[in-house]
Amino acid sequence: MEILKNPNFDFLGKTRYFVAASLLIILAGIGYIAKYKLHYGVEFSGGTQLILKFQGPPQVDRIRDAVGAQAPGAVIQTYGDASKNQVLIRLAGALQGEVENAGSPVLDGLKASYAENPVIESSSEVVGPIVGAELRQKAIQLTVLGLLFQFIYIWVRFKGAVWGAAATLAVFHDVLVTLAFLAFFKYEITLNVIAALLTLVGYSVNDTIVIFDRARENLRHRRKEPLRTILNDSLNQTLTRTLISNGTTFLAVLGLYLFGGEVLRGFGFAMVVGILVGTYSTIYIASPFVVWWQGIKERRPPAAKAAL
Amino acid sequence: MPSALQNPVTFWFVLTAALAAAAYFGLRQELRVRAILYGSFLIACLVAIWPPYGKDGQPGKIHLGLDLRGGMHLVLQVVTDEALAATIDDGVQTVRDQATRKGIVFGSVQRVDPTSFSLDGVEPARVKDASTILHDFFRDGWDIREAGEGRFLVKMTDLLVRQIKERTVKEAIKTLERRVNQLGVAEPVIAEHGNQGDQILVQLPGVTDPEQAKRVIKKTAQLALKLVEDTSTNKESLLQATGGKVPDDKELVEGQGDQPGQPVYYVVKKEAVITGRDLKNARAGVDQNNAPDVQFTLNPQGADKFKRETGRNVGKRLAIILDGIVASAPTIQSQIGSEGVITGRFTAQEADELSKVLRAGALPASLKWLQELTVGASLGKDSIRSGVMASAAGMAFITVFMLVYYRMSGLNAVVALAANLLILLGAMAYTAATLTLPGIAGIILTIGVGVDTNVLVFERIREELRNGRAVRAAITNGFERVWITILDTHATALIAAAFLFQFGTGPIKGFAVTLVMGLIANIFASYFVSKFLFEWVLGKRQVQTLSI
Repeated sequence: MEILKNPNFDFLGKTRYFVAASLLIILAGIGYIAKYKLHYGVEFSGGTQLILKFQGPPQVDRIRDAVGAQAPGAVIQTYGDASKNQVLIRLAGALQGEVENAGSPVLDGLKASYAENPVIESSSEVVGPIVGAELRQKAIQLTVLGLLFQFIYIWVRFKGAVWGAAATLAVFHDVLVTLAFLAFFKYEITLNVIAALLTLVGYSVNDTIVIFDRARENLRHRRKEPLRTILNDSLNQTLTRTLISNGTTFLAVLGLYLFGGEVLRGFGFAMVVGILVGTYSTIYIASPFVVWWQGIKERRPPAAKAAL
Repeated sequence: MPSALQNPVTFWFVLTAALAAAAYFGLRQELRVRAILYGSFLIACLVAIWPPYGKDGQPGKIHLGLDLRGGMHLVLQVVTDEALAATIDDGVQTVRDQATRKGIVFGSVQRVDPTSFSLDGVEPARVKDASTILHDFFRDGWDIREAGEGRFLVKMTDLLVRQIKERTVKEAIKTLERRVNQLGVAEPVIAEHGNQGDQILVQLPGVTDPEQAKRVIKKTAQLALKLVEDTSTNKESLLQATGGKVPDDKELVEGQGDQPGQPVYYVVKKEAVITGRDLKNARAGVDQNNAPDVQFTLNPQGADKFKRETGRNVGKRLAIILDGIVASAPTIQSQIGSEGVITGRFTAQEADELSKVLRAGALPASLKWLQELTVGASLGKDSIRSGVMASAAGMAFITVFMLVYYRMSGLNAVVALAANLLILLGAMAYTAATLTLPGIAGIILTIGVGVDTNVLVFERIREELRNGRAVRAAITNGFERVWITILDTHATALIAAAFLFQFGTGPIKGFAVTLVMGLIANIFASYFVSKFLFEWVLGKRQVQTLSI
């Protein structure tokens, strides 16, 4: 079975529309984040999150009354499958700055005014403000360093900074677009989501490398042809692989998003978006960048061309 | 299973020998070595993960993270400044004693900040003697500066500061280890954390009572028994006797009175009769009225001191001070030897917890809580269920797809995927790496990357076939051409995973570990094992078509 027989699309013909679309999404994302802010998870913002399992079906109103007095402004919502009788309670900031006792007022309040439906299991996450800030800084630092090292690796392997720059640009694009979608759909930026973003840094560059690798191989046999033709052919030659590999991985992470439970929901979403965007950016961002770069070089004196 | 086979090494050896025999008779010469090599490795992985999950109280080989099995994760900060200040206070005391003994008159000696103290107003004639004392007692790790006019400034060097900090954190870890051991938690982790060097990570998998665990960890448990000079429920009247302020060699401590909310004040001697360091053992018990108490035994030096002091002070009261608060102040009835009792208004559980922390010793400095994560056991179970469900769904879908799309070659890919998972789990079991919920996601991604490797190879083989190459040549070329690509894609993915690993907190680290191991396993399984399978199946026959 084959899905495509000898595909021959002109991928690099309509580049400008796609670049414009990408820019639009990224700018919209930046604007959206600037206006509404990203929702950071407890790990990053610092604060308290409790997941309480009640004996019977919990009544959120009653819980709100019981908790409200102790912890005003708490977010209270049911968590996971309804049959699990679970409720998530989030308090802004570690209450009274005390990490070790942050959850107790809530539990005490429930014990006092909602005793008929006792809590049978509690899970909690309490993060002091220092840890949150440190973590946020570290996440950004590591993402940037990861990109930098990939850039260097590809530069060395492909003997040209332009390949590294193109691949890194595409990955950076993927991270930004995924972040934009996370913001649009109001997903929380948790540790797991950061893990998903860092994984994307590793995964979405794969596609780019596969195509560049093919281009490198083609360049060896067809020195006379323009780079644009060679890249377009390489895109077509690897198209089946791109579709199948990303298709299967996409469906696997879609399973994660749908069946992975509450904890992995954000992770799954970031991966689902990231893989789609990663596939797209390889074709419409990374490859055109290489062609565009070479175009600039050719308008300059020939000495500069050797660098490519 | 016969008992000899229970030993993993024997088990592995037997299986490998069987494989070697089968390979010797069943395979062509050029495939034999590879079959035995790859096969024995896969068997080793199988042996390593058996049994994968715990049953009947026996722990499984795959270590589940806190997020999957439930438990507690804490990040604590040791307030190292306290330990530094204590060292400075010791120094201040030494200088005061030595100067007084040598008859040197001085203005004052006091702590300036946690790492230095000053000696002021030394009489001009004795400045040289004072300097000698300082240089004798603060030789290594101290910086002594003479500021003129009888003033000295003594400061710790950075090296000493670092040493004290390190020692404090190490001591705190040891104390925490002793305390946690008393909780009876299996496989606890207590280790240095972060790059500041003053944080401690505590992981307690499967704790059933997080509140109790917190209390036991939190207790500073500074125990001191001090002689009571005077006591009253009224602070002012108590101080009137000594002219409105507490004398230098005494101190004022508070305790719980008969009625709740009404404290009792005690003036006690500053120097303790015994402290927590003199204890040999402590256990919870009950007194003659069946009220819970804590009974303790002293070590020989402690017992000597206790005997001497109680003998000398029969009829006086002895305050039992815990973390700066008087727990009780019984009257000394007669000379006491090496054993004593701490009474107070304890519940049985409080007495039990107190005896535990007294046994484990006091912390060298107090702890600040930076982060706390508790996961209930049933939440963990739900996570495992959904994680396994998602993986199974992904795996099933990929299997069906590969078989439909690549037919018999797809079977090859499925075998390679299974080998990939086996190696990944085997490596995790062998290195005692922890499987976390994001780690399960990492396994799903590994499956995805594994499929990618197969697809790359298969598409290339198809291309070679389209270009009119014979089956065998197409396979050889296909594998050879994609080798570089596979190397590059895996290298870049490994770079990203390495940075993820640096992120370093529990679940994410577990994710990075599975990704790294999965990527390496994948090169072996989806490339080498898959290549071997092709060559094996094709055999020596002249094949015209390939099912791909």
